[in-house]
Amino acid sequence: MAEEKEDNGLSRRQFLELILSTSAGLAFFPKTGFLTTKGRRQTARKVLVLGLDGLDPVLTAQLMKDNRLPNFKKLASAGSFLPLGSSIPPQSPVAWANFITGTDPGGHAIFDFVHRDPKNYMPVFSASESLPGKHEIKLGNLILPLSGGKINNLRRGRAFWQILEDYDIPATVFKIPSNYPPVESRQKTFSGMGTPDLKGYYGLFNFYTNEYKTITEEYGGGGRVHDVFVIGNRVESRIPGPNNPFKKGQPETYVDFKVFIDPVHPAAKITYQDQEFILKEKEWSGWKKIKFDFIPGQGVSGICLFYLKEVRPKFKLYVSPINIDPSDPALPLSTPESYSKELAKKFGPFFTKGLPADTAALENEVLDETEFLAQDELVYRESVTILEDQLKNFQSGLLFYYFSNTDQRQHMFYRFLDKNHPAYDEQQAAEFGPVIPRTYEDMDKVLQMCLEKVDGQTAVIVMSDHGFNPFRWGFNLNTWLLQTGYHHLLSGSRPEEVTLFQQTDWSRTKAYGVGLNALYLNLKGREAQGIVPLSERDSLTRQLAEQLEQLVDPRTGEKIILRAYLSREVYHGPYVDLAPDIILGFNRNYRISWNSPLGNFPRELIEDNRQKWSGDHMSSPAVIPGSLISSLPVKLADPALQDVTAGLLSLFGIKIPPEVTGRSIF
Amino acid sequence: MWWLNQAVGLVVKILLLPFRAMNPWAGMIFISLLTAILMLFIYKKTSNQSGIKHTKNLIKGYLLEIRLFQNDFAAFLGSLKNLLAVNLRYLAYNLRPLLVMIGPVFLLLAQMNLWFGYQTPAPGETLLLKVRFNQSVEIDRLDLELEAPEGITVDSPPVRIIDENEADWRLKITELTGGQLIIRTGEARYAKDLSLPETKLARLSTLRVNRNLWQQLLYPGEKPLPGESEIKQIELAYPEARLNFLGLKIHWLVAYFVLSIIFGFGLKGWFKVEI
Repeated sequence: MAEEKEDNGLSRRQFLELILSTSAGLAFFPKTGFLTTKGRRQTARKVLVLGLDGLDPVLTAQLMKDNRLPNFKKLASAGSFLPLGSSIPPQSPVAWANFITGTDPGGHAIFDFVHRDPKNYMPVFSASESLPGKHEIKLGNLILPLSGGKINNLRRGRAFWQILEDYDIPATVFKIPSNYPPVESRQKTFSGMGTPDLKGYYGLFNFYTNEYKTITEEYGGGGRVHDVFVIGNRVESRIPGPNNPFKKGQPETYVDFKVFIDPVHPAAKITYQDQEFILKEKEWSGWKKIKFDFIPGQGVSGICLFYLKEVRPKFKLYVSPINIDPSDPALPLSTPESYSKELAKKFGPFFTKGLPADTAALENEVLDETEFLAQDELVYRESVTILEDQLKNFQSGLLFYYFSNTDQRQHMFYRFLDKNHPAYDEQQAAEFGPVIPRTYEDMDKVLQMCLEKVDGQTAVIVMSDHGFNPFRWGFNLNTWLLQTGYHHLLSGSRPEEVTLFQQTDWSRTKAYGVGLNALYLNLKGREAQGIVPLSERDSLTRQLAEQLEQLVDPRTGEKIILRAYLSREVYHGPYVDLAPDIILGFNRNYRISWNSPLGNFPRELIEDNRQKWSGDHMSSPAVIPGSLISSLPVKLADPALQDVTAGLLSLFGIKIPPEVTGRSIF
Repeated sequence: MWWLNQAVGLVVKILLLPFRAMNPWAGMIFISLLTAILMLFIYKKTSNQSGIKHTKNLIKGYLLEIRLFQNDFAAFLGSLKNLLAVNLRYLAYNLRPLLVMIGPVFLLLAQMNLWFGYQTPAPGETLLLKVRFNQSVEIDRLDLELEAPEGITVDSPPVRIIDENEADWRLKITELTGGQLIIRTGEARYAKDLSLPETKLARLSTLRVNRNLWQQLLYPGEKPLPGESEIKQIELAYPEARLNFLGLKIHWLVAYFVLSIIFGFGLKGWFKVEI
């Protein structure tokens, strides 16, 4: 029987669901999810999309050829396997935003991991912004906010699941990047890359040791070393939490903890709050809850992992970044809000931080390769467990599910695949060289599980946002701008000591680089101290682009930048004016250096990358396309991310809205 | 003390036996109802029912006086004084039944804590065993060993906390089982009950204590440790249980008191009890 539906409103069934979802409804039916998709349109076709971040088509093809990815091969032979055009630049937040909105950065306003504030030239995160409450009362040291703060998702454009919602087609979208905080929707969504830890960082671990150790607290993440003393087999320290918004000056909150070390055995007991547990040396704790109090009755709870790295001769304890507790989220994680709690109830605590693997801990040698992999394996296992359940309940519409392991492990282990990498180590390569291919094999197992669980009516799409290539050499864009006279420092400045453009003479500076692929003109009327008139913008950008494209690394004879894209030519949509003026498309093996993106001026123009972060994807998109494997044949010869979005909509018979610029792949 | 605990424990065990496979609320409702009936009976038999009735009437009368003479301050004060006096008398009437009931209620609550206070961990989860020694014992010199029944793995070496004179182990549950954990300290041997039943309602003893009377009253689950024991107490840290009420997690004690009061007031007319 056809569902009764009012002309412009909810169907009777939806209305009843809405009523039942109110507090009264929740009281009587506590297991009913708040505004669930249950009862919405049953679709004849179902679509499952596996988002495998960074799955490289060249490596995938090679492993398929070697019969190491039998399920990928099976899927490809039933449908298609093609390189998938990535975004300009092919950074994950940009690329996934292309897929989410079906358009390019001109339509969604995510141009890089990092943007800049034209008022002060300072770098800012591109994905989201936190705004404090507007009104408050001050009582001595106490601040009582009268209105709540706000976190805004800075991605513009409508998400494909919002378009599906218009047509009453249910969707579950799990951990897609560039969706923090999750945009308003009645669909089930869980935020992914871009979700901060409880401190508001993109991941800040803590390391407690009595050994001398320094760690870089990076922009937006990294780690902190806490010097501790072992006195009478006992260590006392504190775990830092979020800043206290109820106190003047917003001091950092913390939780005291104690470690009792056995006098003989390599084991210790850790206690804090109502938690107490034993860890042996080289052992992970599993998720532990932690609560940070602001004022009596007000606080936030998080979850973290402990790893007892060493007991003797030196004490070393790692505490992971404090993830937002999905059972009691202090910040928005999902739509509906109950979805996060529903998952936590079913599976217990799980990673909620956008990119869960702690690459900073590996980079700083707080965790070694084996320890990092153990942590990332936990991420993988959690993801598989939740996916299995989602597949079981996948009755209608679309399911998108994201895996980060492919991306994170390629970033950290590419040096073992590339003998010419400055950080290549033959001995370690023998041990860790197989990590990346094995990770691809893990993904093949995930696909196998999916293929076994879905029915014949389900279209299966495996896709990635970009491929990968080695990051051997770093290019110092700001140094180049300084050397070529486009950027000027105040007289007497020592370039290598400058950070965040603190010594820049803006009255003579024409261009500057902020972010990982972005170059901005110091444009009059746009930048606070802009000097380039609007009339000169086009000629100057072209001149810069030409010069950048001609740059050759004297050591290799290779071009450093394959293409310097002019944003006004390659982007379309209402947000082009917010874009950087030039987007650098690096050649294979090159990337922006570590110091240039934040307004620094290192001495060398090109640096060897000797870091563990050794694979990357900031090249020209032509160098590192993503992968597209589909159970349905793809009709386009050169599909791009936004074409997949159009394809998804067309599979459900939806007319492609004008803001979606992609062409359907089917 | 142990014999008394055993006797009360046996009664509670028999009463809750039919509810072991059911949701813990079933056992809780039954015990609360039974307690309410028992308390009403004790109250009726041990209190001065006519005195209580008369006092309550006086309270009502003085309340009326206060309402009626609110413009006459002297009369108002007089009624207030009388109201306080009869209230005290009412409390005095309640003292005797209270004294009679307090002992059995305390014993019952301690037993109920064994049934409703903790839950069986699932296979794969871990439990902490904490053994606290007397101050005279130097635990860093002790040769400590722990034996676990089948289905339980001793998952860590002992962690000796010198400051607390305590040694802890982590146990891993591989299957739901029961038996005894044996702690050896050289020649001496101490046992701690371990119970991991599959039933929804189960009796779990967290602490085995020494011969201290108060400790025995609070933790009646196991025979106290021998008098000459080096060990002060042995604790198995089962996870705490909560009763689920419409998504809210409620401590069993709250549920018990609320239900007993509801049943008590609901049945007082039927039992013709003046409270």
